[in-house]
Amino acid sequence: MAAYIIRRVIWTVPVVLLVILVTFLLMRQIEGNPFRKTERAVPAAVQENLERKFKLDKPWYVQYAQYVKGVVTLDLGPSLVLRDRSVNDIVKEQFPRSIELGLYAFGWAVLFGVPAGIVAALRPNSRFDYGAMLFSNVGFALPNFLVATLLIYYVSLKWGLLPTSGWESWKHKLLPSLTLGLVPMAYFARLVRGTMLETLQADYVRTAKAKGLRWRRVVGVHVLRNSLIPVVTAAAPLLGYIITGSFIVENIFAVPGIGRYYVTAVSARDYSVVMGLTVLLSIIVILANLLVDVLYGILDPRTREART
Amino acid sequence: MSAAPLPIPAGVSGVSAGAPIRQSSLWQDAWRRYLRNRGAVLAGGIFLLIVGYCIIAPIVSPHDPNRVHFPDAYQGPSWSHPFGTDQFGRDLFTRTALGGRISIGIGFGATLAILAIGVVYGAVSGFVGGKLDNAMMRFLDALYGLPYLPFAILALAIIGTVNFWTMVVALSIASWFITARVVRGQILTLKENDYVRAAHAVGLRSYAILSRHLLPNTLGILVITIFLELPGVILGEAFLSFLGLGINPPDASWGSMAQDGRDAYRAHPHLIVIPSLAIATLVLCANFVADGLRDALDPRTRET
Amino acid sequence: MPLLEVNDLRTHFFTGDGVVRAVDGVSFTVEPGRTLGIVGESGCGKSVTALSIMRLLPEPPARIVTGSIRFDGRELTTLSERELEDVRGRQIAMIFQDPMTALNPTLTIGTQITEVLERHLGIEGEAARRRAAELLDEVGISRARERLDDYPHRFSGGMRQRVMIAIAIACEPGLLIADEPTTALDVTVQAQVLDLLDDLRRERGMAMILITHNMGVVAESAEEVAVMYAGQIVEQAPALELFARPEHPYTEALLAALPDLDDKRARERRLEAIPGRPPDLIDPPVGCRFAARCPYAGCGDSCAQAPQPLRELRPTHWVRSAHPASKRAAEEALSA
Repeated sequence: MAAYIIRRVIWTVPVVLLVILVTFLLMRQIEGNPFRKTERAVPAAVQENLERKFKLDKPWYVQYAQYVKGVVTLDLGPSLVLRDRSVNDIVKEQFPRSIELGLYAFGWAVLFGVPAGIVAALRPNSRFDYGAMLFSNVGFALPNFLVATLLIYYVSLKWGLLPTSGWESWKHKLLPSLTLGLVPMAYFARLVRGTMLETLQADYVRTAKAKGLRWRRVVGVHVLRNSLIPVVTAAAPLLGYIITGSFIVENIFAVPGIGRYYVTAVSARDYSVVMGLTVLLSIIVILANLLVDVLYGILDPRTREART
Repeated sequence: MSAAPLPIPAGVSGVSAGAPIRQSSLWQDAWRRYLRNRGAVLAGGIFLLIVGYCIIAPIVSPHDPNRVHFPDAYQGPSWSHPFGTDQFGRDLFTRTALGGRISIGIGFGATLAILAIGVVYGAVSGFVGGKLDNAMMRFLDALYGLPYLPFAILALAIIGTVNFWTMVVALSIASWFITARVVRGQILTLKENDYVRAAHAVGLRSYAILSRHLLPNTLGILVITIFLELPGVILGEAFLSFLGLGINPPDASWGSMAQDGRDAYRAHPHLIVIPSLAIATLVLCANFVADGLRDALDPRTRET
Repeated sequence: MPLLEVNDLRTHFFTGDGVVRAVDGVSFTVEPGRTLGIVGESGCGKSVTALSIMRLLPEPPARIVTGSIRFDGRELTTLSERELEDVRGRQIAMIFQDPMTALNPTLTIGTQITEVLERHLGIEGEAARRRAAELLDEVGISRARERLDDYPHRFSGGMRQRVMIAIAIACEPGLLIADEPTTALDVTVQAQVLDLLDDLRRERGMAMILITHNMGVVAESAEEVAVMYAGQIVEQAPALELFARPEHPYTEALLAALPDLDDKRARERRLEAIPGRPPDLIDPPVGCRFAARCPYAGCGDSCAQAPQPLRELRPTHWVRSAHPASKRAAEEALSA
């Protein structure tokens, strides 16, 4: 088990380096990227900073190494556009809000999606089941900008219940997190229903019933435990969606987070920020994958002893 | 116990009541199963309907989709304008069809590109096997779940311009991981499947095995994958365009139309609702079709 | 009084393709402490019969259409689910064919045994663990105490089946239903498991229904045998009687199909297979269901058109055929 974890961790390192390398090489192709003695007009102070930071007169692999060193020491360089702020400053300020948004969205998804899936599986082909699956399918298909717009239109404007934008109080946080959580909710409902239905057909569930155990125990202990394991592993792609979705949701609800800032930075050609954010988001996803794999190893006794 | 062998009985075959179950080929079976799924059939029909609408409507429409005529602006749905008009007085019914051509086109283009990349990667990994396969898969594993949007945005920034083809490229580069893994998994299963070994044992050559056994199965999976990837790509294009990083005027896609409609949604919601619903409907149908295909092609899926 | 009385049991599956009449009029009894073997080929309905007794079939699409199942005088078909939960595992226990998938992979063996003890006998905690270890020991698992905390994947197929048996006998049920308990096991392990079942049965005075497609298993372990075909019992008799004087053409064919290693001439002959296939149970034949494959069908009568009832040919020997062996022998004697 420990060997499994260690192996997984070790493999993460080259992958992170590779992702940074790819991003780095990509960035160098862009006009106005931070790694060239630049043709564009960048404020002198920033230019000095850049040269110092990224060793712009050295060959590209030295620049790359320098950047990696920066990442490891959590120093992502200066912003190309905002004179007196570094990428770190921006991240420190905006990132926590995005994390909050993401966590709430995930919370909604677990709170509503998982129980819906469980109940749907326990009453297959019932009205609840059809309803839940219909809701789930629609949830997947509706673009979140539509959901956001409709929610704002009705809840904020027509009924005046909640504010339309910002991130100050819980009232501000409700609509954006709900919007972002819709797709994960739909995903969980479907996934949990699927795994539970499958598990309910398993031989060992039949054995449990044959033992005369109360249905509550059969479901609660035998079925759920085995059904929820795949749900854990599904958390990783969900993170990818939450990041993607946050770009839109933060944009519409004017939440001052990383998603919104990424788009702003691209439009403003602040590629130093773009680079930093891309690397940051990638690392988060990779670490999340690692965490999920480890968790899976803990939850399923069979993997603990598996060889490579 | 009798020592003499039993006589061959009369009437072994052809007793009508109680006759054994009939057989049919894999494809016929699958098609029949698919047809039984009314939801999937309906979805497939709507899907084709939408595609047809996008192709035909601009050709037969009496309105010029680019003609700016402010007095007509912001009209709601009516007989002459089934979807209403936009802020420039352009007919939305026609423009939605045009936008559909671009959105669906990018969707299919990127999906096919994803398939191509995925098939190559997966095939190489699956067939070569061993250490290379290991490394390639570890690589994929670690990249699993990386959000495509930032990378698609980056790719577009590098390419410089944004048009139909660059969108196809950007979206496919950012989203091929899952398909690659599916293809490789499929190839591995098939390579080591018992019936491939049986075919070898009977003396079939590799080519025959490939064409008669591997390909039909893989084709099924690939078709399903198309309908699974399509929604993601279409939504991806919509997101990019909505954020202003995608398709630009005078071209329009559903995403960019939604962005256009965003400012005026308070007073004229149909500008954003219509293209969004178009996206949603197409995505929904693709999902149902994918499910239907999956159930139809996998004989082991139970019917609850 | 018989421990288990099954009377005209009909279990049908309502599917999209039609109604599958998997069990179509099955009746038998099991006396306390005795073993009934149910033999038949795949798809004849023997497993469905067993699962019907325990009501373990998913209610759609399956349904016990008619019939009565009385255990210890109590009618099982009308019990509520809660009442059934009290019967299962406590009065009637069941072990299944595939030990590899019959145990929950994420729970320890110990838990899977103690949960039965807790549920039916109220034994908890340390006392339950001790009892569980005793049970494992009884079924032949060494170092029982330590192995309580192991997960199923650390046990071989044969050992898992022993664990299943331990779980089944934990609450001293009056009847054990064993559905093909040895089919998925190696031959040597098969013998061990059968012997184990036999010993346990005798010690506890437990009745057993042993379901199998293997005549050898039945010959070894059963006192009474019922042969099933296409959802019906076609012959039933005490084991020795059945093997000595089989009546139904199907039973004869099954016995003839066994490889005979002693007779030199038999070793040089081809194996006897029964030509044809079992009938489709969605639309079973009106008359005798074996007619299509029977070498004696249509010999001057309409057995293929008229349904054959189960007749008591001799005391304790029941046959469902228009052409039982004794009748054929008599006819031959007449014409000779």
